[in-house]
This record gives sequence, C-alpha cells and structure tokens, in this order.
Amino acid sequence: MKLRYLQTAIAVILLMQVTACTDILDKDPVSSFSASGFYKTTADAQAGVYGIYDAAQSVFRLNFCYWGEGRADNVQTAQTGESLTLLSNNLSNTASSADWTALYTMVSRANYAIRYIPNVYEEDDVTGIQLIGQARALRALAYFYLVRVWGDVPFITEPYTSMDQDIFIGKTDKEIILDQVEEDLKYAAENCIDRYNSNNDRIMFTRGAANGLLTHVYMWRHKYPEAVATSALIMSNTLYGLVPIADWGKMFSNSYSKESIFEVGYNDTETNGLRTLYAVGSYAIYTPSNNWKASIEKGDKREDFVYDTIPADPKAIWKYLGRGVSDEVSTPAKQNIILIRLADIMLLRAEALNKIGGTANEAEALTLLNTIRTRAGLPEFDTEDDAIAMYGDLESAILHERSVELCFEGHRWFDLVRTGKAISTMGPINGLSSEANLVWPIHQNSLNKNPNLVQNTFYQ
Amino acid sequence: MKKRLVYALSCSEMKWMRKLLLTGFMIMMSALTLVSAATSTSLNMQQKRVTGRVTDATTGEALPGVTVVIKGTTTGVASDPDGSYALDVPSVSAVLQFTSVGYASREVTVGQRTVIDVAMQSDVTLIEELVVIGYGFKKKRDLTGSISSISASNIEDTPVKDVLSALQGRAPGVVVTANSGAPGAGITVRVRGYSSLNSGNDPLYVVDGVPVESSAMTSLNGYDMHGLNPLADINPGDIESIEVLKDAASTAIYGSRAANGVVLITTKRGKEGKAKVSLNYFSGISEITRHLGVLNAQQWREIIIDSYANLDRYNNATTPTEPHWTAIDSLNPMNNGDVDWQSVMYRKAWQHQVDLSVQGGAEAAKYAFSTSYLDQDGIFLASNYKRITSRLNTDFKVSDKVTIGQNVSFTNGKNNRINAGGTGNLSLVQSILVRPPIYSLTYPDGSPIYYFNGKRNPVGMAEECTHLNVTNRIIGNQYLEYNILENLMFRTSLSIDFISMKEDEFYPTTVDYRAGYNWGAVRARTNMSWANENYLTYNTTIGEAHDVAAMAGFSMQDWKMETTGLDGLYFASDNIRTLNGAGTISNQAVNRTDEHSMMSFFGRLSYNYKGRYLAEANVRADGSSRFGADNRFGYFPSASAAWRFSDEAFADGLNFITDGKVRISVGQTGNEAIPNYVQGGEFAIGTNYLTFSGASPTVMPNQALKWEVTTQYNLGLDLAMFNNRVNFVADFYIKNTSDLLFAVPIPETTGFGYITRNIGDISNKGMEFALNTHNINREFQWSSSFNIGFNRNTVVDLPDEVLTNGYIKNGDYHILKEGEPIGTFYGWKFLGVYASDEDNVNQVKFGSTTGKPFIGGDPIWDDLNDDNVINDDDKQVIGDAQPIFAGGFSNDFSYKNFSLNLFLQFCYGNDIYSHLNNMRNWVFAYNNVSTDALNRWRQQGDVTDYPAPVRNDPKRNEYLRVSDRWIEDGSYMRLKNVTFSYTIPKAITSRAGISRLRAYVTGENLLTFTHYTGYDPEVNSYSGLQVGVDEGSYPQSRTVVFGLNLEF
Repeated sequence: MKLRYLQTAIAVILLMQVTACTDILDKDPVSSFSASGFYKTTADAQAGVYGIYDAAQSVFRLNFCYWGEGRADNVQTAQTGESLTLLSNNLSNTASSADWTALYTMVSRANYAIRYIPNVYEEDDVTGIQLIGQARALRALAYFYLVRVWGDVPFITEPYTSMDQDIFIGKTDKEIILDQVEEDLKYAAENCIDRYNSNNDRIMFTRGAANGLLTHVYMWRHKYPEAVATSALIMSNTLYGLVPIADWGKMFSNSYSKESIFEVGYNDTETNGLRTLYAVGSYAIYTPSNNWKASIEKGDKREDFVYDTIPADPKAIWKYLGRGVSDEVSTPAKQNIILIRLADIMLLRAEALNKIGGTANEAEALTLLNTIRTRAGLPEFDTEDDAIAMYGDLESAILHERSVELCFEGHRWFDLVRTGKAISTMGPINGLSSEANLVWPIHQNSLNKNPNLVQNTFYQ
Repeated sequence: MKKRLVYALSCSEMKWMRKLLLTGFMIMMSALTLVSAATSTSLNMQQKRVTGRVTDATTGEALPGVTVVIKGTTTGVASDPDGSYALDVPSVSAVLQFTSVGYASREVTVGQRTVIDVAMQSDVTLIEELVVIGYGFKKKRDLTGSISSISASNIEDTPVKDVLSALQGRAPGVVVTANSGAPGAGITVRVRGYSSLNSGNDPLYVVDGVPVESSAMTSLNGYDMHGLNPLADINPGDIESIEVLKDAASTAIYGSRAANGVVLITTKRGKEGKAKVSLNYFSGISEITRHLGVLNAQQWREIIIDSYANLDRYNNATTPTEPHWTAIDSLNPMNNGDVDWQSVMYRKAWQHQVDLSVQGGAEAAKYAFSTSYLDQDGIFLASNYKRITSRLNTDFKVSDKVTIGQNVSFTNGKNNRINAGGTGNLSLVQSILVRPPIYSLTYPDGSPIYYFNGKRNPVGMAEECTHLNVTNRIIGNQYLEYNILENLMFRTSLSIDFISMKEDEFYPTTVDYRAGYNWGAVRARTNMSWANENYLTYNTTIGEAHDVAAMAGFSMQDWKMETTGLDGLYFASDNIRTLNGAGTISNQAVNRTDEHSMMSFFGRLSYNYKGRYLAEANVRADGSSRFGADNRFGYFPSASAAWRFSDEAFADGLNFITDGKVRISVGQTGNEAIPNYVQGGEFAIGTNYLTFSGASPTVMPNQALKWEVTTQYNLGLDLAMFNNRVNFVADFYIKNTSDLLFAVPIPETTGFGYITRNIGDISNKGMEFALNTHNINREFQWSSSFNIGFNRNTVVDLPDEVLTNGYIKNGDYHILKEGEPIGTFYGWKFLGVYASDEDNVNQVKFGSTTGKPFIGGDPIWDDLNDDNVINDDDKQVIGDAQPIFAGGFSNDFSYKNFSLNLFLQFCYGNDIYSHLNNMRNWVFAYNNVSTDALNRWRQQGDVTDYPAPVRNDPKRNEYLRVSDRWIEDGSYMRLKNVTFSYTIPKAITSRAGISRLRAYVTGENLLTFTHYTGYDPEVNSYSGLQVGVDEGSYPQSRTVVFGLNLEF
C-alpha cells in the first residue's frame, strides 16, 4: 500500500520531468538569431550581406573625408578638433579617424558571409556565388582602406565563432593583404551580378564596381598594365557613362547617376556626416582651401556646383547637399557617398597609360584628360606640351584634374601618397617630412586591448 | 546537426541525474521506514514515577493547571496550585508533554530522571516559532543556517507602504537603501555586500513559494536610472513574515539564483474560527526635510558678472565680455524675479491608505481576503502614486490526506512620476536648484513662461509633461498537498507571475524652444513567468532521539518578456498625447521578445539528535537556458551543523544560559543573472542597408559560459539568557565569488567589442550581531532590539586584459580595482584654492606642459606625480561608497494600553559623491549656485576654499572633473520611525462588537543626524554598481501619520 503511493508520486514526478526534457532549456533568441541559428536560409544569406553594407555605411559616414581629404591640401578648417590635428599633422592616437573598429566590423561580417553562405546554396548556385562575390568585394574594400590608412594591419579572413580562436592578432605585411584584396576583387569581378537594372547598380557591388575598385588597387600598387586592363572593362561597360555638365551637380545631390560606379547608400534614417563636414555655414568642419580655389582654371563650370563662391569667405561646400544650400543646423545628411565613378576611373586610366608611356598610350591619356576638361567647359590640351606648359608634366595635369573633378570626394590624400607627392605637397603646409608619417597612428584603445599590436613606427 | 547533438547531450545528462536523485531518494526512504518500524516494536517496559514543578520561565512563578501528558497516550495530570505534579511513566524513553494556554508546549524525554522541573515560555517570548525556509518550515531553535526573520508584528501596526522598506534596519547584514524619495521608487537591497560585477546584485524574492520577477521593474525609459520597486505590488498588510536567508546553508536550495541572498515573503492565511474582520486606515502628511541654500537674485547677478570678469582675467582679454542681457538687466519683467524654486516646487503632500481584510474558516475551508487602496502624493509638485491591491488566499481540505489551495493577488499601480533622476535639463531636482532666481514664472499678462533663455521652467516640467507608469500585476499560485503517509507528504504547485507595464511620456510644445516641437513616447512591457514546483518531504524519529527529515523535489520555471515602444514627434496638439496624434513616428521603435528558462532538482536531508546535535545538507542542480551546452547544469551543495551546547552536562552550571547553540555552515550558490542569449552568440536584425533588411553578428558565442560561483562560510552563535530575556545572535562569514561573469573587451579586429566570460574574484567578509532584550517586564514593559552588520567588500582579482591603467572604469565616478571595494570613487584631489597667482610656485599647468598655469582663485589640485601638470595621471582613489557598518535599534515601551516604539536606523562610513553639488557650484550657462559661493575667492590674496567662478570653466575645474570636492561623508543615524499608540480597552469596545480598536500616530524620518549637506544621505541615483551617487534624487520626506486599526 505504502509502496503504491510512493510509486504514484514518483510516477507523477517522472512524467513531469520527461515532458520537461523535451526542450525547455533550449531557448533560441526570438527577436534575433543565435550565432549557430543564422545562415540557414537564402534569406539569411542575403540579410547577412546587407549587414556588411550596413557596416560600410558606418565606416564611411565621416571617415571617407577624414581619411581621404583630412590630411591633404584641398581643405581648410576653422575648427580646433580632429580636423585641425589632421591638417596640422599632429595626429593623435585617440582621434576618431585613428579608430578602425568600424572597418573590422565590416571585415567580420564579410568573413561570416564568406564562410557560411556556401552552406546555404548548392555549390554552383549563381545567387550564392553572387552573394559571396559581394561579400569578398566588401572585405577587399575594407582591407584596402585599412592598408592605405594604417599600413601593416591585423589580417583576419575567418569569422570568430569560438573563444578557442586566437583573438590577439598582430600585424601582417600590407603587400600580403593587398594580394588577398586583389584575389577577392578578381573573384568579385568574375562572379558578381553584371547588372541589377535598378538603382542597386550604383550602391551594390557589380562586376563593374569590382573592376573599378581593382583599378584603384592596381594604381595604388603601381601595377599600371593591370589597371589599364581593368579600366578598359569599365570603359566598355554600357552601365556607365559621363553625365553632361548640367547634371554634374546632381550626381552628388541626387545620387544614383549613370556616372557612378560604386557609392555607399544613405537615406533619411540612415544618415551621414556630409552636412556637418561641409555644409553648415561657418560651422562646417571643412571649407575649400585658398590654394585649391586658386588652382581652379577660369571658366571651369564645375566651380559653381562645388561651393558658394559669392561671399568673401566661402562658407559652404554645397557639392553634396546641392547648389544654394544654406544650412545653419547640423542635421544629418542623406546623400550617398560616391567612392568610385567613371571620371575617376578615366583619369586613373590616363595616369596608368602615361606611366607606361609610348606615343599611343600618351595620346590616349591626353584624350581621356581632355574628355573630362571639355565637359567642365575648359579648353582641350591640343598636345601634351600644352599640358606640360601649364602643369609641368602630363601626370601633374591629370592629378590636378583629379583634384578638381573629384574634389572633396575622399581621393586627394590617397592620390598624393600613391604618386609620391604627399611630402612635397604637404611639407610646406604642415611640415610633413617622413614617409613613416604617411600612415595614421593605431588608436590607443586598440593597443590597450591587444598586447600583440605595436604602434606604427612614427608614432611610437 | 550541431544543435541536435548539444540537445541530446543535455537531455541524457538530465536523465542520468534524475535517475541518481530518485534512486537515492528511494533508498533513503526505504531505509528510514525500515529503521523506524524496527525501533517502534522494541519498547522498553519499565514503569517509574516522575515528579516535578512547573514554573513561568520569565517570572519564575509557579504555574497551576498545566496539563502534563505522556506523549502518544491519554495518561496525564494537571499541575497543582503550587505548580507541582506527579505521574507514573511506562519507560525511560517516554516523553512528557506540558501544555498550558498562553504558553508554548514543551516536551521532555524522561530518561533516568525522576524529578523533572519545567519552565514554560509564555507565547510572547516564544522561541519555538516556525521559520519559513526554502521549500518548507523549520523550528527556529533547529536552524543551522543564518536566517533573519521579520514578523508581521513589525510591519502591520505601522504605516509601512512597501515590503522592502520594512526590512530597513531590521536584519543585520541586510543594507536597504531607498534610491529616491519618490512614491513607489526603487529600493536597493544588498545582503552581505556586493558579490557580482556585471550580473545582478539583487537578492532572489520568493513570495509564498513563487520566485517573483524583480529585475523587470526597471523603468522603461532609458534615462531614469532609479528603477521601480519590484515589491511595491505587495500590500505590506498581507504579510505574515519575511525571512532573509543569508548563508549558503539556507540559500543553496535556491542554487544558481541565490548568491545574493534570498528573501522569502509569506502572506497571511486563514485560520480556523470565527471570521476576523480588520479595517486599517491611515492618513498622513509629508514635507521635505530641508531646503538647500541658493543665491538670491542680487547675489546671482554678482556671481555671473564675477564669472565673466574672471574669464577675461584668464584670457588676458583687453575688452570685457558682456554677460547676456537677462543676467544684468534687473528691470525687464521677464527677468526681474527673485524666486527660490524650492518653495515653488516642494509642497506638503497627503497620503491615505485603507485596508480591509477578512480571515477565517472551518476545518474544511479557510480563507484570507484583503484589499487595500493607497493614494500618496509626492512632495514634489504633480507627483502621485496610487495603488490598489487585492488578495485571496484559500485552503481546502478535500479529504483526510489531500489539501488544495490557492493564493491570488492583483495589483494596479499608477505612478505619476516626475523626472527627478537622470541628468541635464531633464532632471527636475537638479533644475530647480540651478535655475536662475531671476526668471519670472509668468509673462506680464499672467500666462506661464515654460521655456525661457535655454531653460525649461520646472513648474512647466512637472505640470505640463506626462510621465505616467501604470503597472498591473497578478501573482497566482495553486497547490496540492497530499499526505501519502503520516510523515510523507507530497506537494505540487503551479504559479504564475504576470506583469503588464505601460509608460507614457509627453513633452509638450510649451516646454520646448523649437516652435511646434513636442515629443511623446509609449513603452509597454509584459512579463510572464510560470513555475511548477514539486517536492516530497519525509520526517521520522528513529529510536526516540534521532529526528530525520528529508526533502526532494523538482521544479521548472519559464520567463517571457515582450517589450514594445514607439516615439513620436510633432504631435498635432499638446492635448492629444497618444501616438496616433504624432506627425512623425521617429526611429526609436522597439519590439522585442526575450525568453529564459530553468529546470532544477533539489534535495535536503536533516538530522537532529535530541535538538542537541543538528546537521543538514542541501543540494540543488540548476539547468539554465542562459548557459552554454557544455555547462548547462550547475550543482550547488551546502552542509551545516549546529551544536546546542546548553543541553550538555557542563552547561548545567551556567544557569543564566537558557539556550545556546553554535552553528557552522559551508556551501556554494550561483548567479545566473546575465543577458539571455550571450552563450550562443547573437545575430541582430535591423542592421539594414537602406530598405534592404540586414542581419549581423553582434554577440560572439561562448559555449563555455557558466554561472558565477559564490562559496560561503558561516559561523554563528545563538544565545538565549536569563530565561530568554536576553537573546543574542552573532554570525561571522566569508563569501568568495569567483568565475565572475564579465564582459571582457576584446580586440575589435574580431568584429566584436567584448565577450562575456567567467573571470575574476570578489570577496565579502563580515560580522553580524543582533541583540533582543526584555529590559523591564512588569506592567510597564520595555524591550529593545539592536542589530548591526559589518561588511568589507574587496575586488580580489580582475583579468589583466580588461584593465586600463590598472583599473576598470565603472560609470563616470567609480572604478573597479583589485584590492579596492566596489563603489570606489576615483578622481582628482582638491587641496584648496590658490590665494594669488604667485602661490602657484611651480607653475602647475592645466592639461599639458603647454597648458595654462593655474592662477589665483583656481583650485589647487593634488599633483600626484609631481610633473607640474594636472592631467589624468593625477587621478587617485578618493572615496568608498560602501558603509563599514549599518543597522537598527528599536525600543518598544508599553504601559497598560499605551505603547511607544522608537526605531533608529544607522549607516556608517560610506562616502557620497554629490554630482548635484558639482552642478550647484559651477557657473555654467547662467546656472544658479549654492550659498557656499558667497565665500568665493574674489581677489588676489583671498584665503578661502571656494574657487573663483569662471564662466564656462576653461580649466575644467568643475566641468567633468571628478574630485573629492564633491565627496562627503554619508554616515547617518536617523529616527526612522516613532509610533505612539493607544488601544481602547476591550471592555469598552466589545460593547460595540469591536474586539480591538487602536489609534496611533507615527512620525517617519523625524530626525536625521548627518554631516551630509544634500537633502538626504540616503541616496542612490543608480541602481547598479555605481553606488552612492547623488545626481539630484527625489528627496526623502518627513512624514506624520495618524492611523486607526479596527478589528471585529
């Protein structure tokens, strides 16, 4: 009798435990995914790649300008913060532009996508390959900036999914990293979608965009024949064409132009710092430098699209926000940030052809330069000698053209470094004198968190 | 595939453990049954005669009419008028039971004695009271662990409005701090110090066996750090007792949630007999304890002009800088006021509470019903708290063996709050203290000025803005008890805790500078938790002297929380404050679901030899969804023993000792209070690219993650002396917490900012003493109760990789550093004020070697490294927010029908960082400052400790400089409660059918002795680790209450 009661009680408990055992302790997130619960479906794969673009939005919202213009001669600043430390070559290891966190977030998201997307698709599924192509192109974009800004950096190509992995990674030689960048971009140039036939052609990686970035990488590495080859692919791509001068300003204020090869997309809720950087009247971080203003040839029709020429002290760079903008409030901006466009690639091609030399190449280089000049309403250089007469040599003429055509788009500093003119240009302005000074310092927070990381030589 | 494997592992682990526990339990049960059966047949049949005398233990007087019965028989006698008795007993193992009305029963084993004198304890000083423990009850005298018990009598006759404040000063080692004085505001409870860095430090609250949600009660908006009181939903009048379990022996039965102690709350249940109807009412008035000194209009204008002159002096300016016209133009009607905003904003506030309860029942059905209504105005304009509670506890005896019952409580709380915490222009307490006195309240036409010259009008903030929190909560519990055998009982219960909270906020156009700009938000959250608990208890006595009890059980609990929120801008009208009126729904939309579950097995075995040698062992196995598959289950054992030395032969000579017991315990508990999904990593959605939905890894997985482990050692002494007139309890403990759950920063090259790991150690060491005495015990009675707890908290070990300059920054004012306690303030040391420019002999500079030198009127900062530069390297430890000791002292006096209770509560040795004082002593944006500024440095050669005010503070002497200038001693002693009452004699009231009528008057916070210069030393602006900061919290008030207790 006693035993039966006991048995009943125990049976009740047992029953409850058995039902409990089903899955009560397995709680996967409801409003998010667990790390192992993601990359299960094609929708996950797509969302994972968009997540990399999201990281790119954070990377470039301000820093495209700090990195690409902040240390160069086209801008001046009335502020005392980061803009002044960069321009006066007093780089601080606590500056926000010295912080690479957002770039590595981009790398991490790309590494996850590259590693896990193959699990979702069949091996030769086109959609899967296109997504991997985008992820690899985005990773290349991140590493290209990392190398150009800091030189040798930690090189990570696998996602972090466990504490067993080595998290304290030291620096890798930048050339090894750039080799991988090239490889990733070649993969993307082969495997990305050719075109979306929508605005996505401008804000997502296509084969053309991958070739565009690859051209930049080759130019950075002085691989001129390769740059000529990839730029040719873009020139022949019907997705791209120069816009007429009347629409030149709209490239920036309206975005998604035919001339655009790759731009980072923003909108009303995903905003960037273009207004703060350039457009908020006298409070803007940057205004055009006097040298740059003086360098503009008379009759250049682009000048009026770029900045407010009327007041004595030009107040605003209205290239992005649109001609006539007169903001006094620093609300965020929604214009896309163009990283690569056709005029940019044409001028890079001209530069590469000129570097390779030879009559035919130099002639084509001059033609390319003249195409950009005539659109701006400037007279053609009939011969190379005309260009030499004005700018000393053809390369300088092309570089000057880039400085005006691509002004404030985040190219100037890299152009100076790439062509070896950074010290000669900036030395007289801020005393820049050391090759080792051409990179940024590594942020103190990064050094604090990683004992295997060594500060860049110049900043030690 | 991987997930399946993980799942299979954990499931097989559970099965294995279940088998082990059940087998053990069955073996134990069978053994006990066999032994008890064997011993019960071997009765020793030796008759003898026993005589003795029965006395009152307290007075020593003879007790006539005491029933003396041989236990288990009907044989017995009653004592004579002189208290003596004589009785034949069948054997030496016979037990005599002594019972008398008004006295606690006693049982005495005859043994070899023939004379047995017995002292009976009156019920008033009953030592054999039952104490609620985890999954059961225990006689207080049989406790082997450290438990503080607060009974209803401490709560029910005073106008206590919430459960947690009833704990304050009542239990040694339990430090209770009201985060603010606002009605219904959060209260910080720390049992034996802080044992965690990133997980919670709050104890586990268990109401009638239901572990209730306490973490959920943070306010829904992000900027108010005070939180809400998790137990404000419980009517204090419903409470039968509160037990605070402190050592591991007592808490380990709650396993992975018990590292911070466990608070068991038991509500009143119906008793057999005629219905008892109670009606309690009180009404009171509160006011602020003090006003802080602020400058008047003239003094303010002078200091503003001064601060501009000083700025010019700093900048060597040739042309003087002009202050804003509002500062100097004393004729303009907009700014010619002279207002002390405190007198405008603070008010005398009324409060009322009415309680009705009915208790009673028959053997078959018992009930306890109660309902209460509280309406409490805050002392701050427009703040108010209303609470309705209702409870029904029932018990039904279905058969001889089966009892079922339920407890259900419902609470509706409406908290009309003001934004008194937080920072900036939104904190009302701060803003009334720094608001310039000159600003007029109204335009010349009489209409109110709610926004003027960059400052919101606090009256407008209080009266125009909405800040309403509405909470509905149901806690329900249904149980079944089955007495399988006389001494084998099975209990199962199913309980729910459901909270629905909604918060509305609105800032109308009238309080904003932007034309047409208004802002509103709505946030809603529901928490639903269910729990199922099942356990078997078994008691037996083996061979008369060996009492053995066992308990084994199993429980499951599951939590789900859903949060929804939206912000809106540009509402069409300030009068339509719901979000449908918003022109723009801004980007703050929140909608999120979180889940968490636990499954546990637990057991207890206790042994008691004649009440002289006591031992107990507990174990709990907890499985939590928060931990990685590798560590899903945690095992939390404890063991304890006690020795009642007063029962030993050698104690016979020590007549003054009535009862004496030494306790020792050791055990482990855990803390699983980490975010729900950190172990498995997390991919967050919403990382969108334009309109394309994206997802990204945001939390790096760590499958090795597990709970924090706290190992606690406790040594205790219980001593009752002089016939229980003196009761003394002492406890000494060491509490070491290791495997701290810590978000360790990792290189950002991983793509993640940090990873949660088990790393680091904290220790708490302390002593607790409680002394209860019946000083005078005649017609005039005086009894005292004193308790004090000392605790020393130390951060023992932190991982090197998380340290920057040897420490971790903990909020704005604190650091965490090895060898220092949690709550260590870190900043610059203020040494005085340079009387003149020349006094800065070493030309100490601000910020860097190229910075400006400090001049006359500047503070002298301690240049720690003597490099003549004041920068981050000169920061040092400047204070400690944790008290050295805290406690309470209560005195009860009664004479005939009058009684008086005085309750003192104290806290010693803690520092307060008054950010409020910083804000009040800094000329910034035309803020008003404290009257201390009247002693300011004004000219070269002035010797003072108040620096010169400098407009906008270019040397950062006040702005963002954490310094010991704002640290004050937070020690205090306060007369927390004085209650004087009169009970109208029963002879009179019974004619009206009233069995008890008591009238009382209570004063709360009547006197506070402290050096603290703020409103009140009991302040804690942040509910987390940032202890002891005064950001301008809602001040504590002084309250006088009149009340009536009526019973039929």
